[in-house]
Amino acid sequence: MTSPAIEIRDVHKSFRDKTVLSGLNLTVESGQTFAFLGRNGEGKTTTIQMLMGLLSPDQGTLRVLGRNPQLEPLEVRRTVGYLAEDQTMFGWMTAEEVIRFVAAFYPTWDHSLATRFVEQFDVPLKTKVRHLSKGQNVRLGLLLALAHRPEVVILDDPALGLDPIMRKEFNRDLVEHLQSAGTTVLYSSHLLYEVEPVADVIAILHHGSIVRQSTTDDLREQVKRLILEPEMARRLAGELTVLDSRLSTGEVILTIDNAPDATALLRTQGIAHRLEDLSLDEIFEAFVVGRPDSGLQRPPQSSTVATSV
Amino acid sequence: MFIRIEKGSSTPISRQIADQIRAQCLSGRVKSGTQIPSVRQLARDLAVNQNTVLRVYEKLTAEKLLDMRHGEGTFVGDELPKHELKAERIRFLDELTQLAQHGRLLGLSATDLHALLDDALAQTQDASAITDGAPRTRNTGDNA
Repeated sequence: MTSPAIEIRDVHKSFRDKTVLSGLNLTVESGQTFAFLGRNGEGKTTTIQMLMGLLSPDQGTLRVLGRNPQLEPLEVRRTVGYLAEDQTMFGWMTAEEVIRFVAAFYPTWDHSLATRFVEQFDVPLKTKVRHLSKGQNVRLGLLLALAHRPEVVILDDPALGLDPIMRKEFNRDLVEHLQSAGTTVLYSSHLLYEVEPVADVIAILHHGSIVRQSTTDDLREQVKRLILEPEMARRLAGELTVLDSRLSTGEVILTIDNAPDATALLRTQGIAHRLEDLSLDEIFEAFVVGRPDSGLQRPPQSSTVATSV
Repeated sequence: MFIRIEKGSSTPISRQIADQIRAQCLSGRVKSGTQIPSVRQLARDLAVNQNTVLRVYEKLTAEKLLDMRHGEGTFVGDELPKHELKAERIRFLDELTQLAQHGRLLGLSATDLHALLDDALAQTQDASAITDGAPRTRNTGDNA
């Protein structure tokens, strides 16, 4: 077993009195494509900046290819391809000048690979960076992040500001250039349906820590919508991992995170139920804004009467 | 072979790809022995993780729909499992739809119908446990 490419252990980080990360743990295995998801402002960029040695954690440890980015930031930056969020660099240089300028920082820079990317990504070399479109800018950033043949690539919301066609192109670049080369990729996004086709593993960051990390297939398997009679739902609440619950007319609509176990139990007990697949957006929503108790509470009129359980 | 993917669907990407390849093989639209895109090529075309495509190909190979020949590529299987399977299933789906409509007219809710289907499934499981080893009354296609 090779050691993980990226390791984050119990990281805490606050800015003044705002706690951003509180006990963040995550591991990215070598060669994986790892999607790092969370709503805006949940600390994705903060985490990535710590991995690049641009920020330090208040507590906890980070490792990139076994190196501590806080102690060896230059070493880490040399071995990692990094695309910052909303990266705009040296607007007064032409794309060609930026490429030559950045190349000088990397001993492993591969000129022929850079030339190939220029063609494939259709980067206009003679255009000044500030005149590039959003998509061209991301692709130039990607070229700069990849042309030194890094083992690990860290991309901060590369799809941000890209239109649907360019997002698909970006996913294709990821599959074609990085996954086939065995490169480890960690990239952040807030668009689950965009990461599903390409990610091996997804992790959901919420309130300062990872609330769920798994393969997309496993997540689909486990997290489903379960529809039951209210009485049954309350009786079985202890056996179900409930992420969200809503009371509808005569039914409780639950989003659960242990669908195979739950259905096995319901079947052996002969309890009527319905199980539905969810889209990844619905799954994400359940984790970050789900209210596990709202549909499972007793209606007000009976709660005053029923005191024993 | 044409495959399209719907992003953000409640059907997982891997199942979308598998279902479409299976349908095209069984319907005969793609003939036995035809070479289909490599894992790498299809992954690129669809902008989908190579591992996802590989798992789909492996699954369909296990179902004898595809034949992954080492070093040569992937082909549509020579002995497809039962050509009439797809037609049979479509007919079955029509019947099931009619039954469901009938049930709704009788005042059964969706939950009731699901429960009834579950009961029916449980009964077929019980029945197959009892008749295990004995000849079936209906040919289910698994005794080839």
